[in-house]
Amino acid sequence: MLSIRNLKANVEGKEILKGIDLEVKAGEVHAIMGPNGSGKSTLAHILSGRDGYEVTGGSVELRGDDLLDLETEERAHRGVFLAMQYPVELPGVNNMTFLRESLNAIRRARGEEVIDAISFMKLVRQKAKQVKLDEKLLKRSVNAGFSGGEKKRNEILQMAVLEPALAILDETDSGLDIDALRTVADGVNMLCSADRALIVVTHYQRLLEYIEPDHVHVLAGGRIIRSGGKELALELEERGYGWLLEEAAA
Amino acid sequence: MSGQATTISGALMTAQHYIDMLPVDEGYWLTEQRFAAIDRLFDLGLPHARQEAWRYTSVTGLLEQGFITTDEPGDIPEAEVQQHFLADQVAARLIFVDGLFQPALSDLQIEGVQLGNLRSAMAQGDQTVLQAVGSLSGAGEHGFSALNLATLQDGAMIRVMADCKLETPIELLHITSKAAAGRSLRPRHLIILEKNAGATLVERYLALDEVSYFNNLVCEIVLQEGSSLKHQRVQQESLQAYHLTELYLGLQADSHYQGVNVALGGQWSRTTVNNRFAAPGAICELDGLYLAGDGQLVDFHLDVDHAVPGCESRENFKGILNGRGRAVFDGRILVREQAQQSNAHLSNANLMLSRQAEIDTKPQLEILADDVQCSHGATVGQLDPQAMFYLRSRGLNEDQARRLLCLGFAQEILDRFELESLREQLQETIHQRLEAAVSDPI
Repeated sequence: MLSIRNLKANVEGKEILKGIDLEVKAGEVHAIMGPNGSGKSTLAHILSGRDGYEVTGGSVELRGDDLLDLETEERAHRGVFLAMQYPVELPGVNNMTFLRESLNAIRRARGEEVIDAISFMKLVRQKAKQVKLDEKLLKRSVNAGFSGGEKKRNEILQMAVLEPALAILDETDSGLDIDALRTVADGVNMLCSADRALIVVTHYQRLLEYIEPDHVHVLAGGRIIRSGGKELALELEERGYGWLLEEAAA
Repeated sequence: MSGQATTISGALMTAQHYIDMLPVDEGYWLTEQRFAAIDRLFDLGLPHARQEAWRYTSVTGLLEQGFITTDEPGDIPEAEVQQHFLADQVAARLIFVDGLFQPALSDLQIEGVQLGNLRSAMAQGDQTVLQAVGSLSGAGEHGFSALNLATLQDGAMIRVMADCKLETPIELLHITSKAAAGRSLRPRHLIILEKNAGATLVERYLALDEVSYFNNLVCEIVLQEGSSLKHQRVQQESLQAYHLTELYLGLQADSHYQGVNVALGGQWSRTTVNNRFAAPGAICELDGLYLAGDGQLVDFHLDVDHAVPGCESRENFKGILNGRGRAVFDGRILVREQAQQSNAHLSNANLMLSRQAEIDTKPQLEILADDVQCSHGATVGQLDPQAMFYLRSRGLNEDQARRLLCLGFAQEILDRFELESLREQLQETIHQRLEAAVSDPI
């Protein structure tokens, strides 16, 4: 599904990613962990096409397409979805309208028919129920005045409606209490399927108690310094990142 | 009945000519008023760029057009006009085409309200009407409003009787046809809400054809004690047209005016709202939205005078500027020494979509009393790059994302329109207007 080869990137002239290699297959869940400032969010942003990053080397392929060559929206059309760490508030933009426009933009780009208003309503109601998002929030402006947990659930709702091939969760656990975390994780798990891949970017192991990864990678200093199974996450929880950093430096 | 208004002397000739041609059935009173307006026009002349209020809004282009003052009716494309009626049920309907009243298209059957066209009411010698016309505007604030009275065409007369509260809106529709090309139209409306009356007025200016004309409008609104008016105005003239609204409000004790102005059309448009609080306890709310694209100038002037204590005013205007569009916002609130316990808040926010667009905004607050709550502010900004990225990451392209954010910006004002059909139609129009290519977007 996704192949990242020797990806290098700068932010404001400073090298943040120093050669990332990552292979993600359909049906897999990958966790990317690491200390603050290790480049985790940079990687997530580069995959989704955010401005402000200069890719200086390497390649990213999504199902054969050169991802780095595509505009942000073209990546979305091909199934990339980034659940943001800080979802943006859009005052005046109705949540339903936003979802419908997004879904239809993606459908049109894929040469599919746009969804009619009634089918769309049904779909959104059903998905909102799944991710336990209060229906009232559908009628409000996107994220405006939402609590931290509501914003994250709204991200998962978008993911449920848009059904991406590759979903990237950027620090989705930050700012969530344990109940909200469980709801969000349940929503994510429901979307896991054999033809979908998931990358979970997180600082803590906490979220991985609910979303079970097939692979865990530790990113530090712009490189993946260790990859392993889900037991690696548990080890990190116990011992912290220090020992790995020391090993990597040695 | 025709003449050119290219220069001051031209305007004067037009006015004089018009007076010479006055219809015989017109009352003595109106003739007197016209002469007073002519005198006023002589005193004032036409506005020019050296006057502070007209500094950013040149009238040169308007005067060069040489618009003709004439009331020759053209063919009325009735079916086409009807297509533009409000989709919702209305209490009554007043239709004007090219400045002329259309009784056949209007619906005047309504209880508790006297309504019709101003000229008829004046010709019948209706004393309430005769006393009210010009009571707020005087002979004219500037040359154009003086010219309006001197050459007054016709307009709506709406008088909601005491204690009458209307459930559905009154529709006032002014529409121009091909026949308006090259003409100067001079409508004048009079709206009176008597004691404790309540009504909603939806007033729109639309064009069937993209022709050039000058709509030189004056509107006087008297709200008597305890009355309440929701006034929802839409200026959607032809993109070739010139539009001038001079709106005068007279708010008596405990009355409540809620006005919303949306300006989308015209190559040159200017709306001035003059409100002088007449008695304590009145509330004046003004919301506005303007969209200026290539070749357009939109100007809003607000003049709110807290001349008495204990009144409340709130103004919130938002603008979207695209291409080489230009806008002027001049909002002035004066709180006089005696106007204690005044509450006045003024805000103007502008969204610039292109580097060539220009806004001149001047929110002014002049406070002479000490026990008041007042604030004012203006912002000029661009679309939030984070919001743009968010929308694009969900599959919308740049144009779609930009339009959605612009509509989001406008929504706060559009929400003031109670009729959903009208709200949707305005959203659709804004959407279409933004679809036109943005040159050198930010």
